[in-house]
Amino acid sequence: MSTEPLIVAMRQIVKVYPNGLRANDHVTFEVRPREIHALVGENGAGKSTLMKILYGLEKPTAGAIYLRDQLVHIDSPHTAIALGIGMVHQNFMLVPSFTIAENVVLGAEPLRGGVLDRKAAIAITRELSRRYGLEVDPEATVDAVPVGVRQRVEILKALYRGAEILILDEPTAVLTPQETQELFAAIRQLVDNGKTVIFISHKLREVKEISDRVSVMRNARMVDTVETASVSEEQIARMMVGREVFLQVHKPPLQRGEPVLQVRDLEYVSDAGVEVLKRVSFNVYAGEILGIAGVEGNGQTELVEVIAGLRRAVSGCVLLGGVDITRASPRQVRRAGAAHIPEDRLTNGVALSATIAENLIVDRFEQPPFTRGLLMQPRHIAQHAERLIEQFAIRAPSAELQVGMLSGGNMQKVVLARELSARPKLLIAAQPTRGVDIGASEFIYDQLVRARNDGVAVLLVSADLSEVMALSDRIAVMKDGRLTAIFSNTPHLSEEEIGYYMLGVKHMSAEEIAANW
Amino acid sequence: MEQVLNVVFSTAFLAAVLRVSTPLILPALGGLISELGGVINIALEGIMLIAACAGVLVSVWTRSAGLGLLAGLALGTLTSLVLAFFHLNLKADLILAAIALNLLASGGTIFVVYLVTGDKSSTSRLVSGQMPFLRDIIPTIADLPTIGPILNQNILTYAAFVLTAAVAFFLYRTRPGVHLRAVGENPEAARSVGIDVRRMQYLALILSGALAALGGVYLSMGYVKFFARDMTGGRGFIALAAIYLGARHPLGVLVAALVFGAAEALAIQLGNLRVPTQLVQIIPYAATIIALVLYAIAQRQRVAARQRKFRQAA
Amino acid sequence: MMQTAAPIAFDREAARRAVLAERRRSALIDLGVTLSTIGVALLMGFVAVALLGKNPFVAYEALLTGPLTRLGRTGRWLELATNLILVGLGVSIAFRARQFSLGGQGQMVAGALIAALVAIYVPLPPVLGVVVPVAVAMAVGFLLGLLPGLMKAHLNANEIVSTLMLNAIVLRLYDYVLTYFLKPEGSSTTRSLPVQPTARLPTFTELLGVDLGRFNLGVVFVVLAVVGVWVLLERTPFGYTIRMIGANEQFARYGGINTRRTIALAFAAGGAVSALAGAHLLLGVHGRLFLDFVANIGWDGITVALLARNHPLVVPLSGLFYAYLLVGGDRVEQQAQVGSELVQVIQAVIVLLITAQVLGDWIRARRSRAIPSQEG
Repeated sequence: MSTEPLIVAMRQIVKVYPNGLRANDHVTFEVRPREIHALVGENGAGKSTLMKILYGLEKPTAGAIYLRDQLVHIDSPHTAIALGIGMVHQNFMLVPSFTIAENVVLGAEPLRGGVLDRKAAIAITRELSRRYGLEVDPEATVDAVPVGVRQRVEILKALYRGAEILILDEPTAVLTPQETQELFAAIRQLVDNGKTVIFISHKLREVKEISDRVSVMRNARMVDTVETASVSEEQIARMMVGREVFLQVHKPPLQRGEPVLQVRDLEYVSDAGVEVLKRVSFNVYAGEILGIAGVEGNGQTELVEVIAGLRRAVSGCVLLGGVDITRASPRQVRRAGAAHIPEDRLTNGVALSATIAENLIVDRFEQPPFTRGLLMQPRHIAQHAERLIEQFAIRAPSAELQVGMLSGGNMQKVVLARELSARPKLLIAAQPTRGVDIGASEFIYDQLVRARNDGVAVLLVSADLSEVMALSDRIAVMKDGRLTAIFSNTPHLSEEEIGYYMLGVKHMSAEEIAANW
Repeated sequence: MEQVLNVVFSTAFLAAVLRVSTPLILPALGGLISELGGVINIALEGIMLIAACAGVLVSVWTRSAGLGLLAGLALGTLTSLVLAFFHLNLKADLILAAIALNLLASGGTIFVVYLVTGDKSSTSRLVSGQMPFLRDIIPTIADLPTIGPILNQNILTYAAFVLTAAVAFFLYRTRPGVHLRAVGENPEAARSVGIDVRRMQYLALILSGALAALGGVYLSMGYVKFFARDMTGGRGFIALAAIYLGARHPLGVLVAALVFGAAEALAIQLGNLRVPTQLVQIIPYAATIIALVLYAIAQRQRVAARQRKFRQAA
Repeated sequence: MMQTAAPIAFDREAARRAVLAERRRSALIDLGVTLSTIGVALLMGFVAVALLGKNPFVAYEALLTGPLTRLGRTGRWLELATNLILVGLGVSIAFRARQFSLGGQGQMVAGALIAALVAIYVPLPPVLGVVVPVAVAMAVGFLLGLLPGLMKAHLNANEIVSTLMLNAIVLRLYDYVLTYFLKPEGSSTTRSLPVQPTARLPTFTELLGVDLGRFNLGVVFVVLAVVGVWVLLERTPFGYTIRMIGANEQFARYGGINTRRTIALAFAAGGAVSALAGAHLLLGVHGRLFLDFVANIGWDGITVALLARNHPLVVPLSGLFYAYLLVGGDRVEQQAQVGSELVQVIQAVIVLLITAQVLGDWIRARRSRAIPSQEG
């Protein structure tokens, strides 16, 4: 093997985004032919950027890419495909009403006499499917098959285009354990057929199971590349989460009150038919911050949106202050005393073309003093806005300014001002500091702690573990749509320990969790 | 009732259905292509009108029905191209831009007819061309008992049926057709495999314009032999309804257009029998609304069924 | 405790003035684009007239001064504007929530028909004679708007198709009722009996003794509707929900707005106002029903709303402008016979150019960089 050239060699890759974010800092990444190479790291560690560079979706600021010792310039996915690189994205790029065969050959259909050769498309699909053990029915339409099969279609698409190197971006995130096993069998068969697989994952058990070597990234740098067999899951986890900077937030001792939010056996199935939440149960008490840690995509987004009324639970129940809000509308959830800082500000949190003043009353426009009798009261709406702009230090010259004109941090402050000034019993904060500069982040932390001190029950969901650790009184860990642990946040608790639960290395029993509800 | 049945089962009625369905089938096929490409063409009405007008005037001028047909096709397609340019390049709202083109067609055709003839209601004073009927090609056909009158249709009526098959073939059997449908359903997926989304949408609008233009030419150079102001009479909008009633498939669209045509033919025939034609004409529109509702409900139940499956499994 | 954000260190007053200036500038750009669009359209019409071999200067003098040359024409202008403003207002309500309801035409027809059933056959005392048919018409318009509204809100059914279908259905029902029930026995023309005298909106010709055509007291409806729709959109909680849905529907839902109810009611409210236009056409203008009663007014209402960018206080201006062009077109008609078609072409070009958002946005994008930094 030592005489054979590396199939992929990315050397000293630097990627600096226009906003100054350094996503890759002199990263070197080498892949041997016919290996299964896992690439792991936390969110924001830079692995997605690295793979986007390899697939031609991003241009590196500096550095070089060699394929089989040949220097290459990959300026578009088109070039990448021509060079034999295929990528399977997390969100599938399929046409739902088309058959599997049609999807596999889309864009490069076999023709006979200028006419689509359907039989050939089916035969090609069947042959690829047989050779690589990716079992599909070529004539079934995509919208009628489960997610696992759709993923196989994506892989077949890449193979049909002649991919020798397959990048799989968190392929198991949407799969059931059985489907995962089937995928692994297929990956092994791909390698037996001479393909090389790069496997991006957070799930260390799977990394241990499937990969030959593993590369660990942290903070835009490559930590190390090792033979998978030579390290334990704990060792990989330590490489991933080892952290230099610790956030310090001062907060007075916990004065825990009554349970405000009670979630029991909550289950949610997405419109696409994927089971996203599996019997989730926990409480949030008045005066505490419960942080939910977890690698993104393990059901946190859905959990928050089900509680907030934006999605409908399939079963289980949610009580807020004793009121059943299980399948309530967002309006009813707010009436029951919840406020919600949403994960995606631009989609949910604000209306960009509306003014700051209008954005600040969306949850209370019908109440006095904003509406008296049949009419709204512009004077009160303006005063309300001026007061909140002052109180939350929103840098805006006028309450009549459109929210779209504000910076990200100030937009988030508009959301925060509205939600906190609603005097909620429960505050749901999802990724509250995402895309926000450090100054604004600190302000937001301060406000969350202040709400807690005032007796609000705070449910914090964040992909940033240090944020969760710094703010929370208790921490729950979510993994694959389940809670795998609930801890009290004592000084003895380490990020590493939580990391084990986040990555599925450890989990508590149902009884242990229930004891900590 | 008996009278009604007599009407329905007469050969004259069947011949009439084919005659009045033709200017619905052609634009409906065009509309279908635009809908499947994700750029529904609301300007079918105006495109038909422009093509009808251009066809007549050029046939008068050149004394050639064939050149009239070509001119109608060219101008109708050009109108569609304008719509595509405004929507795809200038980011105009597709619906509003199409409404504007319909207005432009309605006013502009009358304007031009007046410019040429000095009469703003129709071109009936001019001797214009007509596309041939089957009788003109096979003279004995009209003499056949019973089926003679049914078979003796304008060649554009035959073209409508042939084009239905051609459109189906194009959409499901050719590379551009499949790419067009992929673009309409999931533009991201299409882009990811190297399909040029904007180019496919241009194609969808141009083809829809050409088919609608054929429908327009039939009206003024087949159905009758002149152009009259606003002679399309809302057929472009009925064609849109046929797309949805026909479940967005060429064959379904053909059947839906024939249903609309039958209702119109029935309305014409029943007018003589003192049955209110307006009520008969309502049926297809009402059916479209019901079809729209049923489609939406079915869609919703499919999602619910998927979720239920999990609840039972759990 | 952590440090809170730094105190605001920039001159708020200056920035506030800058924002106001920017807003004025943006409004001016909108106005500029609209006016130059109208200019281009008029120019194209000018060329078209020249093509006809007529003197375009004479024709344009007729087009641009027509409504003012005689009092009767002024009356015609104002009467037409009354209708266009009412439909324009109706259309703008649903458009404001980003719903493409094209049902204005059908709602007008239905409003006129229902109003006629009351106004022709039910003798009522003065005032009530007008109020009752108008109220009934608006109620029917409301229901006719509500149907596609509910279909959109609850089933996500394409509102363009459903409103177009309803237009077609209503038009045929109208023809049916007119032909078989309202047309008097033995009458040769298809038209209804006149409405009761108490149901007529008095014209200003009768009231003032000067010839103002059929311009009538229905103008009171316009004043009420403009104020009413403005208050509804800008000053009521319901209007707030419409505007927020128009700005970002997901935000509205997240914030606790009952988006389904608002969408359905926005369609319905627009239907009621459009139906009012139909009632005015009957009670104020024609006094009886006949075939093709509404002509193209329902469609023209879309142009009027679009020209005004769906702002209720601007709709009267665009309605007056458009009616002015239509009446001017009638004057051209006397010379060239195609005056109204000319206006239609001009209208089409205006709509087409205004929808090409790129034009205004380009100018704005280049301008907005000049805004002083109020960013943190």
